[in-house]
Amino acid sequence: MRKISRRGAGVAALSFPSWAYLVFFFIIPVGLVLWYSFGYKPDLFTAHSNATLSLDRYFEAMDPTFLSTFINTLQIAGLGTLICLLIGIPFAYWMAVKVPAKWRGLLVALVLVPFWTNFLVRTLGWQIMLAPEGFVSEALQNIGLIGGPIEILYTRAAVQLGVVYNYLPLMILPLFVSLDRAGVSLREASADLGANRVRTMLQVTLPLAAPGIISGCLLVFIPLMGDYITASVLGGAQGNMVGQLVANQFNSAQNWALGSAMAVMLMVFILLTVAIVGAVYLIVRAILRFNRRVLIEEPAS
Amino acid sequence: MSASVLRDPAEDQSAAQALVPVPRHNKRRDPVAVAMTVFGVLVFCFLFLPILVIFIYSFNTGRLLAAWEGFGFDAYINAAANQVIRGSVMTSLQAALGTAVLSTILGTMGGLALARATYKAKWAAILTGLLALTLVTPEIVDAISILPWFVSLGTDFGFTPINNGMVRLVVAHTVMSIAVVTFIVRARMQGTDMTLEEAAADLYATPWNRFFQITLPIAAPGILAGALMSFTLSLDNTTVSSFVQVPGNTPWPVYIFSSLKVSLRPEIAAVSTIMLLLTLVALAVVALVLRRFGESSTDIAKTIAGA
Repeated sequence: MRKISRRGAGVAALSFPSWAYLVFFFIIPVGLVLWYSFGYKPDLFTAHSNATLSLDRYFEAMDPTFLSTFINTLQIAGLGTLICLLIGIPFAYWMAVKVPAKWRGLLVALVLVPFWTNFLVRTLGWQIMLAPEGFVSEALQNIGLIGGPIEILYTRAAVQLGVVYNYLPLMILPLFVSLDRAGVSLREASADLGANRVRTMLQVTLPLAAPGIISGCLLVFIPLMGDYITASVLGGAQGNMVGQLVANQFNSAQNWALGSAMAVMLMVFILLTVAIVGAVYLIVRAILRFNRRVLIEEPAS
Repeated sequence: MSASVLRDPAEDQSAAQALVPVPRHNKRRDPVAVAMTVFGVLVFCFLFLPILVIFIYSFNTGRLLAAWEGFGFDAYINAAANQVIRGSVMTSLQAALGTAVLSTILGTMGGLALARATYKAKWAAILTGLLALTLVTPEIVDAISILPWFVSLGTDFGFTPINNGMVRLVVAHTVMSIAVVTFIVRARMQGTDMTLEEAAADLYATPWNRFFQITLPIAAPGILAGALMSFTLSLDNTTVSSFVQVPGNTPWPVYIFSSLKVSLRPEIAAVSTIMLLLTLVALAVVALVLRRFGESSTDIAKTIAGA
């Protein structure tokens, strides 16, 4: 007994550097932002003061500009996640099921290539393509598909396209892993038991891929909500996102209190989303498990 | 998130199933399968289109990146001659190396600790939650929170090393990659049981030997993948870097980001192309190393992806 507890302490000590580092460079800074958000900007030349504490910055942050940008961001993020999911599911299914096993590693590596290319540079590639004087615009005009130059750059549509492109690999990978792990035998069993394709898809494949769907959606939605780069490169005035508003309060307006309040609201919103998605997933899974508890047993390892 | 997927008990089966060739659909020319292949190829085109554009435009001889004038290697020559570009690429590489070393050391220790923690250890649960919190924190929040802290550490607390631009970059990037390394190493170690270490202890190996001859070799693929991941995350980082950077230590993505407001020149595409090629070579080397550890190609890709 004593030996075990000593081992436990040794193991815990091994994690001490991580603890210290995270407390010192993550918890304290984020805690400070929370603290700043209760302060105010005293005058034009001072960035911050906490002399009187109030929730005023939160009310100030709720102004129409911030709210409309927030809703804008939420729409871009929600639609972006949905499009990524709609592209990702058939694509990951194709990679995990239809493609011969020997090619799979190569295909996964290929999906990762954009992921390893600099985020900003990939976005610049789109900026070149979407430019009104760019080669895509000219080619489309030459074949007579459109009358004038394409007018998509610096609009919300461009930002939407950019985020779908930038975050698609993050959706594909977890989906692929979950579908690949589900294996072929359960789908075959479903077919042998007389289920048609649609039914196998809906009742076997998708439920097995559920963890991948959840983690893929979170992996796309969370960074997308705080995205600052894509909107800066591809979005004009119409494509503003919350990340830029927060950054501006610190970069140009020098109003730390307001920027902090916005950042806190963004973070709380993201945490709430994660919590709600997690809770819904657990509840749905519990209900499904209860209803179909005969059908799928956990494979014994 | 990604690590929790790994604990699926079906994991042991997938390897066995991968060996069984079931080319049922290939023989019948199933229209659905054909449509899916077409779709898959289209998605790949979509994924590679902007990268291809950057590659092609790196040979643009014009003054502006987006305005094509002619084919030539001018951009590569100009980039190599440009002191500022060379400096910023070097800054990025150094910061990435520093981040990889620091976050690999911290993440390996943390990952080993988490994998060996008893089931109900409270510290392990809190640490996992904290690491997950760093993953879900948007980069912009990391950026705006760590900058004032660096400033007050450097001025109010007299901790002067933090005023150094390179130290700032490494410290800030490590905050974001420590969780990735930790979770990769934990996933790697959870698959292995502790009997090997116990056997070594029974055979009178010192804790030191046990660690370097048993634990570390087992964890090596995970550590390597984690190091690579943190290296690339640092190399890729724009948001946090643009906040914490000090003039004179401008990393490459921040250089691009600031020239976005002035004018984008083809040199940017040229350097990006070279950096992508170097990254791919590094990945290929890692894949070869992992193959020597006897992993399948899918496993290698998954390990590299950190999934």
